Amino acid sequence: MIRVDSLTVNYGELRAVDNVSFTVSEGEIFGLVGPNGAGKTSTVECIEGLRRAYSGTVRVLGLDPWKDRQELYGLVGVQLQDTAYQERVRVFEICELFASLYRRPTPYDELLKMMQLTAKKRDFIANLSGGQRQKLSIVLALIPNPRVLFLDELTTGLDPHARHRMWELLLQLKKRGLTIVLVSHYMDEVEAVCDRVAMMNCGRIVSSGTIGEVVGRFALPTMISFRSPVEHLGSFENLAGITSVQRKHNLITLCGNGDKAVAALLRHLEENEIEYTGLAVKPPDLEAVFLELAGTAPAADSLEGVK
Amino acid sequence: MSPAMIKLTLMEFKLFTRNFINMFFLLVFPSLMLLLFGGIFGNEPEALYGGYGVIDISVPAYAGMVISITGLMSLPLTICEYREKKILKRFQATPLSPVYVIISQISVNLLMTIAGMLLLFLVGRLVFNLRFMGSFLPVAAVFLFSTLSIFSVGFLIAGLAPNMRAATAIANLVYFPMLFLTGATIPMELMPALMQKIAAVLPVTHVVRAMKAIWLGEAAEVLFPSLLVLGGVLLVCSYLSLKLFRWE
Ligand SMILES: Nc1ncnc2c1ncn2[C@@H]1O[C@H](COP(=O)(O)OP(=O)(O)OP(=O)(O)O)[C@@H](O)[C@H]1O
Ligand SMILES: [Mg+2]
Repeated sequence: MIRVDSLTVNYGELRAVDNVSFTVSEGEIFGLVGPNGAGKTSTVECIEGLRRAYSGTVRVLGLDPWKDRQELYGLVGVQLQDTAYQERVRVFEICELFASLYRRPTPYDELLKMMQLTAKKRDFIANLSGGQRQKLSIVLALIPNPRVLFLDELTTGLDPHARHRMWELLLQLKKRGLTIVLVSHYMDEVEAVCDRVAMMNCGRIVSSGTIGEVVGRFALPTMISFRSPVEHLGSFENLAGITSVQRKHNLITLCGNGDKAVAALLRHLEENEIEYTGLAVKPPDLEAVFLELAGTAPAADSLEGVK
Repeated sequence: MSPAMIKLTLMEFKLFTRNFINMFFLLVFPSLMLLLFGGIFGNEPEALYGGYGVIDISVPAYAGMVISITGLMSLPLTICEYREKKILKRFQATPLSPVYVIISQISVNLLMTIAGMLLLFLVGRLVFNLRFMGSFLPVAAVFLFSTLSIFSVGFLIAGLAPNMRAATAIANLVYFPMLFLTGATIPMELMPALMQKIAAVLPVTHVVRAMKAIWLGEAAEVLFPSLLVLGGVLLVCSYLSLKLFRWE
């Protein structure tokens, strides 16, 4: 469905995307994550045909997004990271315009209803809240009835309820056979909807695969925390599988390797009759991988994406 | 014209009419000035104005005012806004090329310029018994040619300005001198000779001269130098703005 082969994007001297390759298969939700300035938007814009690659090849639905743009644009829906629309246009007017651009548009009333914008149909875009504009942008991306959908920071500015509804919507669209490329900074979002992810940093893909694969590859510790008045932490450090112990007031946090460490800890607490409350076990997740990666990025690079 | 093109142009048309500054300076201000000057001076023939009344020379001169608001303000500011807000880029990702967004902008501004001029003509005619010495087609041709020439200046502003704020500054810096120093508002005949000389470098001055000449049926010697200047402006500015144009 989408094939990206050794894609490189330059802005003058700056190499924003460096030899990136990945594929997205039909009916898949593919997540692209990474710190600010990692090159996600640049990559997606090349796939959308909005930006010319310095080198490498991209194919979407068998088309070259740069050369066959006109044909491609009838088949894809796009939400750009930071488009605003004309302030003095009414919501339904811009929806009607977009509907007139496509051969088989989805009726926009349905989409507005789904995004809870029906009441705002006759309002000027200037009078919409930030989240409502974001929703409108999603409506406009769905009007083409696309086969591939590109969403760059889809739920930025949406309230938690709206975000969960968005995820449901994405999963519904996927069931209908839509292929979706999602750029996101919310790891919970990516974990909730994406089949596979690619994690970018400084223009390169540092890891990709299913979420389990990506997380597994980094061998990050499981975090175990509980509250306890216990004084001496030395005994915890010697437990099998526990690698570090920290305490803040009466909150004790241990890092360990997987379930063995948990079992060892529980046994230790039991045997020594140590009082504890609120035991929580957090296995490594995408967020932990992200923080690990962002932490290792050179500081200058992680600041660049903020315009 | 495809249905999408028509929809787009209609939307841009609505947007134009919802812009208060555009509407005021295009449709209200020129007529207001005409009523003011006419109210004070009437439209009696006077030697100062070559034997015409003040309204007779003001209506063609105000073409400069009408063309300036669309060409030097509305057009460049809208294009800069669309570029800055990435609206052009957003259209690039649809089957409708953003070229058509620009085309519809030009069409809407052109139509509105014509409407502004017609309104002015009607007010002059109905209120002050305006005299018209030229004939329709040549006047229309000079008017359209002038409009295109000033639009090309507007495109150059859009190309030069790095962002919306700069565009607004440049547009104001260009618009107001063009409005008051060129005879487009205050009759040139009332200005000192030095001022008239300085004004000759401003393109709108030549719009005013050309429009007055063709309107009053003056000899070709008055008309052609100005047309030549406007043609030169059109060529140079179109060339430069094509070179400078950016979609984002
Ligand atoms: N139009 C441009 N001109 C010059 N440099 C650019 C341009 N767009 C992006 N860059 C640079 O390219 C790099 C990658 O930017 P990009 O927008 O692809 O990052 P991103 O991963 O989408 O970041 P974010 O999460 O902040 O949206 C950044 O260092 C940025 O400064
Ligand atoms: Mg981005």
